[in-house]
Amino acid sequence: MANRKIKPKDMSKNCGQLVQLDVKNFLPLPPPYDSYDLEPKFKQLTDEQKAKYESDLDGVIAVKLPRPQTDEEKRELVEKFLSGLKKLFDKESNWTFIQPLYLTLEYCAKCQTCSSACPIFLESGEQEIYRPTFRSDIMRRLYNKYVKTGGRFWTKLTGDDIDATWEMIARLMELSYRCTICRRCAQTCPIGADNGLITRELRKIFSMEMGINIDPLHKLGSVQQLETGSSTGMTAIAFKDNIEFMEEEVEERTGMKFNWPMDVEGADILLIHNAGEFLAWPENPEAFAIIFEKAGISYTLSSEICGYDSVNYGVWYDDVQFAKVALLHAQAAKKLGVKKIVLGECGHAHKALTVIADRVVTGDLQIPRESSLTLLREIVMKDMIKLDPSRNDDICVTLHDPCNLVRLMGVVQPQRDIIKKICKNFREMTPHGVENYCCGGGSGFAITQDANFPDWRNTLSCRRKMRQILDTFQDVIGPEQKKYVCAPCSNCKGAIRDMLDAYGAFEKCNILYGGLVELIVNAMVDVPEGFLEWEWH
Amino acid sequence: MAELVVGDLTVEVDEDGFIQEPEKWNELVAKALAETEGVEEMTEEHWKLVYYLREYYQKFGIAPMIRKLCKETGFPLKKVYELFPSGPAKGACKVAGLAKPTGCV
Repeated sequence: MANRKIKPKDMSKNCGQLVQLDVKNFLPLPPPYDSYDLEPKFKQLTDEQKAKYESDLDGVIAVKLPRPQTDEEKRELVEKFLSGLKKLFDKESNWTFIQPLYLTLEYCAKCQTCSSACPIFLESGEQEIYRPTFRSDIMRRLYNKYVKTGGRFWTKLTGDDIDATWEMIARLMELSYRCTICRRCAQTCPIGADNGLITRELRKIFSMEMGINIDPLHKLGSVQQLETGSSTGMTAIAFKDNIEFMEEEVEERTGMKFNWPMDVEGADILLIHNAGEFLAWPENPEAFAIIFEKAGISYTLSSEICGYDSVNYGVWYDDVQFAKVALLHAQAAKKLGVKKIVLGECGHAHKALTVIADRVVTGDLQIPRESSLTLLREIVMKDMIKLDPSRNDDICVTLHDPCNLVRLMGVVQPQRDIIKKICKNFREMTPHGVENYCCGGGSGFAITQDANFPDWRNTLSCRRKMRQILDTFQDVIGPEQKKYVCAPCSNCKGAIRDMLDAYGAFEKCNILYGGLVELIVNAMVDVPEGFLEWEWH
Repeated sequence: MAELVVGDLTVEVDEDGFIQEPEKWNELVAKALAETEGVEEMTEEHWKLVYYLREYYQKFGIAPMIRKLCKETGFPLKKVYELFPSGPAKGACKVAGLAKPTGCV
């Protein structure tokens, strides 16, 4: 209970770990997981890890920042943070997000409508540090004191005083990786304050001003992507080798022999997948290839740098990394002279390239970008491929909505039109569409695998999604009924996979997960039955 | 950074036990890594998998698709898990001295 009384000022204290998490304080799950004994193991940090890395927020490590050794080091880091904070409010430095940032800091009425919309805050049993306004309140106080003219004087009078100690900054750093930036808070806010943006802008200070970020997003993510062409480290040569393998696999599985269009100049569409699909879920790009081939779509893949990986992790933490990757995506399309770019099943790539990149790609790089879901809807609804929906009859299907597709872009109906046409046993989660809940892996969490972060993700940030899935299938929860969580996003699939795996839900409840195109191909008359392999992967 | 000591050789490993100095890999290092993975004896089948991974990695700079690994070694995924209980990425790749998989995988 003491954890609930934590105040923003407590973040400045030199008192070791501020919050001790206990899964038993999290909200109980529905059957068959309605006992805390069935929770996956939540690893506590070792003394060695605690001594080595900043972990004084909640005993969880996402950033893995080695503790600074001297007071001088700490002072320098605090100064850098404050200099970065000032830049956020300078329109030359922060031309991307300064307006909504101001709005959020200046006009929040602290009504707490957002708190009752935040899945992490609610599922944690209302841990104060996870409250959406807790994070922004700290940023607001720091802004009032250290950025505004006369702030040090006025904040003493108003009682908003807060000290930018290293302890505060280090905890705030970890706290900026406890929000999936699903932006449900922003959606529900009566005045449009965006606490998700606060999280993102905090990460931006740490990355762009202090060089502090998380390896899976930066060093092994966007940096590797800019060097090799893909966040997976896949070079163009490896990419082509993988495509060749998938072509063979499609032939073996379906009897359909055709080459996947590669670097075809003048094709109508450049299709970009998240390259993680090739390695972890090749059936997804394979299904796309089959559908497009049979529907006679004029498209091509690209082997240009970044042209075969739609990932753009910068959207979660760093404007420069974001812009560099977005430009390469647009350049790959320009080189081929396509009419538009179509994005495969990847949510954040939709956000990055179709929405945010509008501020970055200009002139002849301003090539139209679209979601694949609208094109797939057209193919399915106009009967451009022959379908036998009864092939999906034995599966109970629900749909997970990726936040960036629904809440950010309003792409809600196409996937439903498709799924209702091909799945007799489709049922919605509650709530869904623009009011969906995040998978729990948003903003890079799905690929953050260090220390005990996966335990935090599986049991807490994914918890609302786990609850929704169990509730949706509650009447058929036993293993005798096949159940499929359709998640048209690589990142969501990764998070849902790890969560289901942590709870053993495939063995126990026969719940599998996968994309949308796999369900379509599973119902295609031209493809032998059984495209969807009912095996855990 | 943790260390793996193999005879006279010391190899740096990350928190998940992946080696950070791939040039130091040899069969003894592989055996030591296998022990950390609960693999008591490296059989001919283990080595077949490990050398396939290494050859692919040296050629393409990345681990192969899991399906490709299964197809080209002739081991179904289940067999890969029998050989390396943590699976192809966390188990077999680690013993083969490859880097940890990255990106949305």
